[in-house]
Amino acid sequence: MSQEKLIEDMVREVLKSMTQAPQTSQAPSKAAVQGLTPDHDYPLAAKRPELLKTPTGKKLSDITLENVINGEVSPKDVSIAPETLRMQAEIADGVGRTQLANNLRRAAELTAIPDNRILEMYNALRPYRSTKEELFLIAEEMETKYNATLSAAYVREAAGVYERRKRLRAE
Amino acid sequence: MKRSKRFEVLAERPVNQDGFVEEWPEVGMIAMGSPNDPEPSIKIENGKIVEMDGVSRSNFDFIEQFIADYAIDVTVAEKSMAMDSTDIAKMLVDINVSRDEIVNLVRGLTAAKLVSVFNTMNVVEMMMAMQKMRARKIPSNQCHITNVKDNPVLIAADGAEASLRGFDEMETTVAVVRYAPFNALALLIGGQTGRGGTLIQCALEEATELELGMRGITAYAETISVYGTENVFVDGDDTPWSKGFLASAYASRGLKMRFTSGTGSEVQMGYAEGKSMLYLEIRCIMVARGAGAQGLQNGSVSCIGIPAAVPSGIRAVLAENLCTTMLDLEVASSNDQTFTHSDIRRTARTLMQMLPGTDFICSGFGGIPNADNMFAGSNWDVDDYDDWNIIQRDLKVDGGLRPISEEQAIAVRNKAARALQAVFKDLGFPEITDEEVEAATYAHGSNDMPERNVVEDIKAAQELMSRGITGLDIVKALANNGFSDLADNVLNLLKQRISGDYLHTSAILDKNFNVISAVNSRNNYRGPGTGYRMSDERWDEIKTIRQAIKPSDFDV
Repeated sequence: MSQEKLIEDMVREVLKSMTQAPQTSQAPSKAAVQGLTPDHDYPLAAKRPELLKTPTGKKLSDITLENVINGEVSPKDVSIAPETLRMQAEIADGVGRTQLANNLRRAAELTAIPDNRILEMYNALRPYRSTKEELFLIAEEMETKYNATLSAAYVREAAGVYERRKRLRAE
Repeated sequence: MKRSKRFEVLAERPVNQDGFVEEWPEVGMIAMGSPNDPEPSIKIENGKIVEMDGVSRSNFDFIEQFIADYAIDVTVAEKSMAMDSTDIAKMLVDINVSRDEIVNLVRGLTAAKLVSVFNTMNVVEMMMAMQKMRARKIPSNQCHITNVKDNPVLIAADGAEASLRGFDEMETTVAVVRYAPFNALALLIGGQTGRGGTLIQCALEEATELELGMRGITAYAETISVYGTENVFVDGDDTPWSKGFLASAYASRGLKMRFTSGTGSEVQMGYAEGKSMLYLEIRCIMVARGAGAQGLQNGSVSCIGIPAAVPSGIRAVLAENLCTTMLDLEVASSNDQTFTHSDIRRTARTLMQMLPGTDFICSGFGGIPNADNMFAGSNWDVDDYDDWNIIQRDLKVDGGLRPISEEQAIAVRNKAARALQAVFKDLGFPEITDEEVEAATYAHGSNDMPERNVVEDIKAAQELMSRGITGLDIVKALANNGFSDLADNVLNLLKQRISGDYLHTSAILDKNFNVISAVNSRNNYRGPGTGYRMSDERWDEIKTIRQAIKPSDFDV
């Protein structure tokens, strides 16, 4: 579509909608892991490789082409461990990126949750997908089954906001 | 009326095929400074924001609540908000004020206050500020690699040429959705052929995109959209909390991720609430910051036709890019979708980001002919490679690309096509013939490629998913077929997700897979002689173009 046509169509759409009815319209705790600092320890792979372990307990130096060919490396070996995410959160704090650090701490919790369940939980958080009770159940599952307390608080908070803003699924 | 011959000629000029519209604040058709933009304000009680930009907490929409609770630092907010907007703008262009000082001050500003700062600045001042505020010291660039046929051999070859030309990130998407696993696989191999360490992504709906990442076929994701009004957010089928959860989900799988937003999207979707495009976009940037995303792609992106149609729209686009860097986020600064028929206008628009340098100047530059761009043609594409290189040379500016020789391009294209041929054979996918390898090696675009059996390809692409093939299987297939250098590169890319070093702000990888990010390569610009300065080696690379005649070639 040409730009000219796009603009024309938009103007028409806006005019049309104007004649119709109007539309209604806390930081988690940080537990220090290792006392890591950005200048001294980052990047971890180069400066602190001894701290890095795969979720299966392998070292970074175990992940070689030879070991892949011999079948000694599984997909689980090339994923991130929760401890690593918490270390990276410390680095992020060290450069003043509090929100990124907190995101990485929530991510550390989510490593325990299987892929499919993660996608289901994401879908449940979309607008009009869940009742308040359903979101609270997810929060409880996060807490009891996966020890994901930060994420659970985040979901409970969402439930409250969705209720106030009428974004819950209507029964 | 008798027509002026001069006006008749002007009417035929490319720029007059573009669309323009007068400002119309009531519906948000205004780039900056809408009379309906709120007055900046903040009230804090017991460590909580109880009023922001004239709205009391009980009336916050979900975006406002998210911003108030996650994006604004209440410990500095009152002090920052008390400052004069012009004084803040002056600090932005003052080389004696450090980036850190600005970042710490901006933590306490509301969206309306940020808007009021940009309203005082012209584009040269914004470019000066961008040069200082970009998070990573070294600027970079990103490209699109797609084609209308989803031809995987061509994607591999184009990816190889593009990574050799210097793109640190490459993005593909699909013409036919079910081809996605093959597009991602082909780009993975192509990217690692041109230059080890190139990061790749495949833009798809959230679930598939995340799954390809989890499998280790892609290395990062970008199309996590956020919006500036609650209605548009809901129309986009998300909330700040669902997107925040997705951000953590990506990180939990060790994948780099950034959000996407842009001026004009709210007007296009019909709920701008009479606010300026820039005000609404700044709310998006603050949502990205609040969610803890390391970065954001913005600069209107696919809505560029809208700000480009109104006065000061391209200035607003620069302001949104700048605002992203001030909130200490990586910025992939758009310069992607075509918005004009005029070569002059498209160049002027890009200089705003190219001259100061951003984390990714284009996001992306078409590494394919315009007609093969499945994101809808880019502002820059393969036919502009030499123009880009020569602008870099003319101005001694690092736009992230380098001139290459025809021989080098042919060699890496051929190698990538052969590597993909071998991997397809190894994994039992439909044959890639020698004729296809040859065609991809020398092709300009998908018109030069022999037809493939699309039905068979799509079936096999689904098999890639159902058989549970991961990045490790690709490593093995490459190693088994004499491409151990590429196998090493793909494995090194997979290893990034063990260390998570590239989850940090503005991370890219060098050819030896070392992470360069806004942690170990922080922008320290403080005026002439500081910040990013091109090395002699890099300048040699940029200035050495095949088109230049050498005095030594003359026989005098």
